[in-house]
Amino acid sequence: MTGAFSTATIIVGLVIALWALVYLLIKRPVDRYLQAGTLLLAAMFVVLAIGGIVQMVGADQEFARAEFVGYLLLSPLIPLGGWWWAKNDESRWGSGVILVVGLVMPVLVVRIQQVWAGV
Amino acid sequence: MSKALATNQGFGRVLVVLYAIFAIGATARSVLQLATRFDEAPVAYVLSAFAAVVYVVATVALARGDRTSNRIAFIAIAIEMAGVLIVGTISLLLPEYFPRASVWSTYGSGYLFIPLVLPFIGLWWLRKVAKSEPTH
Repeated sequence: MTGAFSTATIIVGLVIALWALVYLLIKRPVDRYLQAGTLLLAAMFVVLAIGGIVQMVGADQEFARAEFVGYLLLSPLIPLGGWWWAKNDESRWGSGVILVVGLVMPVLVVRIQQVWAGV
Repeated sequence: MSKALATNQGFGRVLVVLYAIFAIGATARSVLQLATRFDEAPVAYVLSAFAAVVYVVATVALARGDRTSNRIAFIAIAIEMAGVLIVGTISLLLPEYFPRASVWSTYGSGYLFIPLVLPFIGLWWLRKVAKSEPTH
């Protein structure tokens, strides 16, 4: 849960946030490349959820398991929902939506890691 | 005269997404708290559930964007503003009622104070949308 893959999800989230911020500032709507990036982020969270649950089944330590699973299962919905909401927006604010998604996801990874560690 | 705005267009999309994230997060958290450890902090957990309902109503109303929805969104966001200010203050003055945090404890400090800022942005946006509507 604290391995290279979760670090990669944090980095991809931040890259997408930065990318969307640039689009927002130059008043560009979301294009298909940024859409693809957002879907990639969603896919990474699906992988994280599967990996996390598999790891949890084999783990002995005490932590809030229901909370952990809740975070893992709900987190892919945010980039998916953001993608869907942004792709229907022809203004630059579609990029604003993706900016929010890109910033929230790394925070979620950190929170998931905290739950895993029993914080 | 610029064209009429809608709460679910332009900047409003960003706001809907923010509200949706809080709605999902608060609802999930609250279901878990009420189901598994209600006894630990009933006041905080009931407030969390109430906050979740407010966020859900605000999200749906902002996303719909018609005139009636705007009125509902206004009421929901006003309750949200009152909630975060009142609960935030009480949680500082009477911390014994909040052994576990709710979304609105200490003005939403556990969530980067976003719960405190969100209703102000929400009301500003609703006002801007209302002003843009042509008067009949």
